Parts: sequence; C-alpha cells; structure tokens
Amino acid sequence: MAKKTIRSIPQERTSIPTQDPAVRVRNFEEVTLGYREMDALNESERCLVCPSPDCVPACPVNIDIPGFITRIAAKDYRGAYNILTDSTLLPAICGRVCPQEDQCEGVCPVGDTLKPVAIGRLERWVGDMAIAENWDNTPYIEQNGFKVGVIGSGPAGMACAADMAKAGCDVTIFEALHKPGGVLRYGIPEFRLPNDVLDAELENLTRLGVKIKCNVLAGRLFTIEQMIEEHGFDAVFIGTGAGYPTFMGVPGESLNGVLSANELLTRCNLMGATEFPKYDTPLGLGKRVAVVGSGNTAMDALRVSLRAGAEQVYCIYRRTRDESPAREEEIEHAEEEGIQFEWLTLPVEIFDDGENNVRAMRCQRMELGEPDDSGRRRPIPIEGSDFEFAIDTVVYAIGTNANPIIGQTSKIELNQWGYIKTDEHFATSIAGVYAGGDIVTGAATVILAMGTGRQAASSMKAYLGIRDSETVYQAPHIGSEGKLFGIDLEERTFTRVRLG
Amino acid sequence: MLTIQLVGCRVTAGADLMSDTKYLFKRDETWWVKVAVPRSLRDTLGCDLRRSLKTRDLETARAARQDVVDEFRRKIQQTREHQANQTTCSDSLDLPPGTGFEIVTRENFSDVTFLLEVSAPMLAQAAQPGQFVIVILHTHGERIPLTIADFDRKAGTITLVIQAVGKSTLEMQQRCQPGSRLYSVAGPMGFPSHLGTKKVVCVGGGLGVAPIFPQLRAFKESGAYVIGVVGFRNKDLIFWEDRFNQYCDELIICTDDGSVGIKGRVTLGVEAALEKHADVDRVVAIGPPIMMKACAETTRPFNVEMVVSMNPIVVDGTGMCGGCRVIVGDETKFACVDGPEFDGHKVDFDDLMSRLGRFRKQESQAMDAWKVTAGAT
Repeated sequence: MAKKTIRSIPQERTSIPTQDPAVRVRNFEEVTLGYREMDALNESERCLVCPSPDCVPACPVNIDIPGFITRIAAKDYRGAYNILTDSTLLPAICGRVCPQEDQCEGVCPVGDTLKPVAIGRLERWVGDMAIAENWDNTPYIEQNGFKVGVIGSGPAGMACAADMAKAGCDVTIFEALHKPGGVLRYGIPEFRLPNDVLDAELENLTRLGVKIKCNVLAGRLFTIEQMIEEHGFDAVFIGTGAGYPTFMGVPGESLNGVLSANELLTRCNLMGATEFPKYDTPLGLGKRVAVVGSGNTAMDALRVSLRAGAEQVYCIYRRTRDESPAREEEIEHAEEEGIQFEWLTLPVEIFDDGENNVRAMRCQRMELGEPDDSGRRRPIPIEGSDFEFAIDTVVYAIGTNANPIIGQTSKIELNQWGYIKTDEHFATSIAGVYAGGDIVTGAATVILAMGTGRQAASSMKAYLGIRDSETVYQAPHIGSEGKLFGIDLEERTFTRVRLG
Repeated sequence: MLTIQLVGCRVTAGADLMSDTKYLFKRDETWWVKVAVPRSLRDTLGCDLRRSLKTRDLETARAARQDVVDEFRRKIQQTREHQANQTTCSDSLDLPPGTGFEIVTRENFSDVTFLLEVSAPMLAQAAQPGQFVIVILHTHGERIPLTIADFDRKAGTITLVIQAVGKSTLEMQQRCQPGSRLYSVAGPMGFPSHLGTKKVVCVGGGLGVAPIFPQLRAFKESGAYVIGVVGFRNKDLIFWEDRFNQYCDELIICTDDGSVGIKGRVTLGVEAALEKHADVDRVVAIGPPIMMKACAETTRPFNVEMVVSMNPIVVDGTGMCGGCRVIVGDETKFACVDGPEFDGHKVDFDDLMSRLGRFRKQESQAMDAWKVTAGAT
C-alpha cells in the first residue's frame, strides 16, 4: 500500500447523519444517528497513521488511535474493538460525549490543512457495533483476594472499578441513587447518550465481576474509615463528583420556577418527569424558559426544556459564543433547534407574579474588557443597558461545587473549596483511600474523570502491591493439555449423540 | 371477548353429543380441563390453564367441566383487566425478585396516618435521630423524603410514619402491606440531631409526632430532662402515648377539640412548659411548616435555642439538585446536606411554605390521573 499523504486521503470529513431539527425537538431520540459502515470505512481512510502520533498522548486514557483506525480500514472491526477496550471501558459513551476537538482531534495533523479525522465518531461506531454484536472482551481474571470499594458509579468510579477488577480485586461500587451511572444517568440526556448504551457499558463492568450496589449513601450509611476498619476494604476510591449546584444570589432566586440545571436534568433523565403523570415525578416547566450559563450542562438544559414542551428557550450568557465553555457541536445543535442565544447578558433580578412564581427577569448587557485570570476577556456591564423580559422558568447552569457528604463524615483532608486534597498519585490524606474525577479536579468532562479514575487505580495497585504487567492469565483447563476426551474445550461445534 | 362467548355457546349446545370433548383432554386415563390463554396474557398465566377433574368417566367429566371453564374464563378476564390498568397507570411496577426493601409490619393510626416498619439492616445500624431517608415506592415512583421515626438496630428495621396526603403517599397507603417491598430506601441523610442539653422541650405536631420520638428518646438517654409536647386533632388520633410517657419527664398533649389535655395548638403547650421551667435551654420542633413557624414565634421572647427540622421538596437528597434550598438568616442552605435541622429563629418559613406549594397543580393532576386508573381497585 502506498503511503498515505494529505493529498491522497479523502479530503472531506465524512458527515454524520443527524435527525432533522424540526423532528428531534419533539422527541428524546438520539440526535446524531452514527456512521454507517461505508461512512466509517471512508473516514478511516483519512488517518495518516503517523509514526509518532500526537493524538495518543492527547487522549486522557491514551487510546491507540491510529491502531484502531487501521483495523477499521482493514475491516477487522473486532480487532479495532479489542484495541479500544485495552484503554477504555466505554467506547460508545466516550465517542459520544468526549470533547474530541480539544483532545485527540485537536492535535490531529490532518486538521492543519483539512478537517481532522473524526476519531470520536469512529470510536462511537465501533462501540455501538460491539453492543449490537454483543462482543465480550472479558479477560480471564485471577482473583488476588483484595477487596476494593468504589464510591460513586459515575465515569471516574467506573473506570477505576474496571481497572481494579481486571487486576483481580473484588470490587464493589456504591451508588447513592437508585440507578447506577452517575452523571451519565442523571445528567446527560437521552438524546445525547441513550440509556441503552449506558446499560450495555455497565453490563461490561458486571462481566468483570464488579458488584454495583445502589441506594447506598456512602459517608452516611458507613464512613470511609468504617469501610477500611470494619468492612474489610483494602482500598477505597472516592468519585462522588461535583454535583452541588451554585446559584447567583440575585434577588428573586427562591421564587417557584427557579431551579438548577441539575434538578431539571435529574427530574427528566433519572425520574422520567417528561412522562408525568405516568411517572410520579413532576417537572413544572413553564412555556418561556431562560437558562443561565453556556456550558455543556446549559446546552443539555436548554435542549431538554425544548423537548419537555417549552415554547421559547433562551440562553443567557455574560460573555460571547467564543468564550462559551460548551462544545462547538452542542452549540450548533442547540442553534439548529431554535434556542435563542442572548450573548453578553447578565441576569440582575427575577420578578414574581404576586403568587411567588417567576414572571419576568431583568438583565443587563455586557461588553468584553481585558482578559482575566482564566485568559478569557472579562465581561463589564454597560451602564443603563438594563432590560426586562417575560419568563416563567429560570434554570441555573453556572457551575457546581464539590459534593460535601464525604467531607462532612470523615477526617479526610479537603482543600479550601471543599474538594478532596490528593497528591499527584491521587492518594488522599487517608492511607489506602484514593480519589478522582470531579471531586478532585472540580467540574470537568467524562473522559477526564475516567482518566483520573484510571490513574488512581494504578496508584491503588501500587499501594496494594499488585504489579501492573501485560501478562494475561489463561483460563485453567480441565484434563491434559486443555482437552477432554480428545476434544478441545474451545471447540463447541460438536453434537452430542446418545449411544445404544 | 367475543370468541369466548361463542365458544361458551357451543359447549352448552353440543353437550349431548357423544364425541364432545371440548376443553377436555385425557392424561393417564384421567380427564382434565384445558382452556387456552390469549397470547397477550401468556407472560403472566402461561399458555393454558388446566386442572384435573379427577375422574375417568367422560360423562362425569362433562358435567363438571362447565364450572371449571367458567372459573378459568373469569381468571383470564381479571388478568386482562389488571394488565390494562397497569399499562395505563404504570407498567412493570413489580420489582424483580430479590430486590427492594421488605415491609415487616404495618400499623394504622388513623384513616390517613400509618406506620411502616421496613427491613434495612445497614440503615438501621447507621440511623441517628433527626436523619431522614428517601423512599421510592415502585419503578415509576418519585423520591419521597421521610424522617426516620424509629430504628431497631437488633432487628435491622427502620420505622416510617406516613400521612397519606398526596398521590404517592395515598398509593403507599394502598399498596404497602407486610411482605410487600419498596423499590428503594436510601439514607440516612442529613446531619443527626445535636444532643448535649440539660433541659429540652420536644414538640411534635401532625406529621412530626413520630419523627420527634427518636430525638426525644436520645435526649432522655443522654441524661437530659425532657418535656414532650405533642399535638393531635382529637383523642382518637393519638398514638404512641405509652412510648412518649416512657421517655418523657413531662408529657403535654394538645388536641384541637380539647378531648384530651390542653385545648388548642401545641404552641400553648410550649408556652406552658417554658413558663413553668425557666431553665429550658432548647426547644426542638418537628411538624408542618406553619406549626414550626408558630413555635419559633412563641419561643422567641423566651430567648432559648430553637431547632426546627425542614421538610422541603427534595429530588436526590444528596446535595445535587438544590430543590431543597431554604433561607436561613441571609444564607441559602440545602436541607438535605446542610440540614435538615436549622435555627428556627432564622429560617424564612414564608419562603419554605411558598416553595412547598411549587407543584400544587401537578399534585392534583397526578391525583386525578391516579384515581381514574388505580383508585377504582
């Protein structure tokens, strides 16, 4: 095969089929439908297979990206899946929700002249195929007798649990809600990440022998100290996340109709409030909804509101689209669906209708000044630019803080903002207790949480004295040389016959 | 429905024919009745319903046949109606075997108030006075915060006292029987009550009578002088009087109609207790917001510490949604992780009450929808 060059590869990035915006705002079906086989093959041709690829170190879990793409191009899809599962547990999820433009795709050299290789879409395609074909990459695991507890079944906890289970530990995940998945369950809406995909990926965890216990509020039901001293856990991983929502503190925030994006999303995604009264949890969303903030959570809240029956949905953000922390793709999708963006706008006051419900909101226009500490230009209010507009629901998506429960119930060391303090190996102040994900880093992304979960797992293995090696045990065979009556045990195609 | 009627006609019409073995079949010389189940019900009933007539004689079998066939038909019809109800109201409410939390005992205090003792060994170990749990009745249920009314560490159970006021609690009243299971019980949530007081007045009104009990007991066990004040509407609704008497140095009962104790609200009892004992250092009140507000106003001039337990609308109970935020002083607190107990003299009760009414419209909508389907059964 001739060496691929930037000129010889397909020049156009293969587009991904999506649901028509007019149709999708009325349903919770997935928006992007995913590649077909021909799309995936075409896109896989665009990878230059760099000898020292930049994309691999740019991936928080270091997936061998050129490796799996070459397998797709060679139509060895199972091989591609094997490469993915060496590094990630959740290809179908990461392919959907990773901010690839800032990670692998951001450093892809194809992107210097053309659009970068659609790594995320290819990853998702392989992940979806694995679910559809029910591929099972469960390795043979030799138990080592260590007992590991994982608090929180979100991405960090899942990643850590998978690595520890593969190393041979007896892993139990504790989840406070009644369904596992953490933010993947309650936060990310169905149209971005279908629950079926999440369930399939969780199934992979249970195949590794991980036990998932829901309805367990670790910290209150038992403390971290108790887990180690009384319940016999050799190591504990904390991945409780940063779910504590923040409010702005403007007048009128305690009115009915002001809620956090977390509350809106939890009601819809976890509790089925969009199907009220079939499900008992109400939503109580108005017709004119304003979402404050412009991160990925804000985009989810905006688009969920639209699907839940709101007629006008506004996005209020004090900076411009360029500074918005949301993924480009999410903003595009939101725009297509008819969300009205009010950039450079800051809420000042929320007014009531006399019965403690939201009636209107007063905002102020902003302009951008000098860059601040985060490198983004600081918004400055324009005097006399106040305006009022009618609204009946206000949703805050302006960030979250650390979940306080573990800190309240244990002697673990926290930093000044309430996040768990760890060293560079994600070890906390208590021996044998590690932490990762948003509870350490502050609100971040799914893949970063998974990355820290895996790093914490690797330190945990070092702490327990488990050597991380490439050696894979083979399942023990019965009989000599793995054969029974001369039949290979792997051979399953013989027919049993009754004699006589 | 139509086929069954037609078939039924044929049975009677053709009963005198010699070859008539409709619904009958022979197994080891014995006659059996067999009625096929409609395809849609086969998941629950199996492919057919069959029963032995315990006779080898065809004539006897024919005579006995009709009753059994009728019984089977009724059963099929009932199952069909039951399934229709379930699909309109809530499908697949039944829990998979081996999951959920079993209800051990149930006691009815009145036509609206009832007690459930739920088996949850770990929870019973960890529970402390003042904490609450979140209960989900079934897979389509909402997350209901309930204060732990008692716990038995040995038996591994926790006690919940529930007042059937909304759709979910009414449904609980109807469905929760000993042996049945709750989909989810999670907790214990919130900070336990702070003990360390010498003389305390514990006030419970309405829904708060049961939750005040474990606190009251804990105060007594920590060596404090405990004055209990509990309020009921009338004499017939009084419960747990013996339990309260056992742990109270003084017990004041208030009833709305004066049938027992002081006539009037619990605030009268609180006032009486505070006037009698000048050295009371804390008042703890649990109950409806209006009652807690009244208690806070009553105690304010006495200059004692006032503790109230918040019961706002909660979704997750783990500090994630912010639905339970309450205003305490100039701060916004989350009742689930910062509470549920706060300084009663600082809580903004008007805000709390307004926020509790947030879903009033949806609540009545849910009630109506529920009454149409399940309420009839």
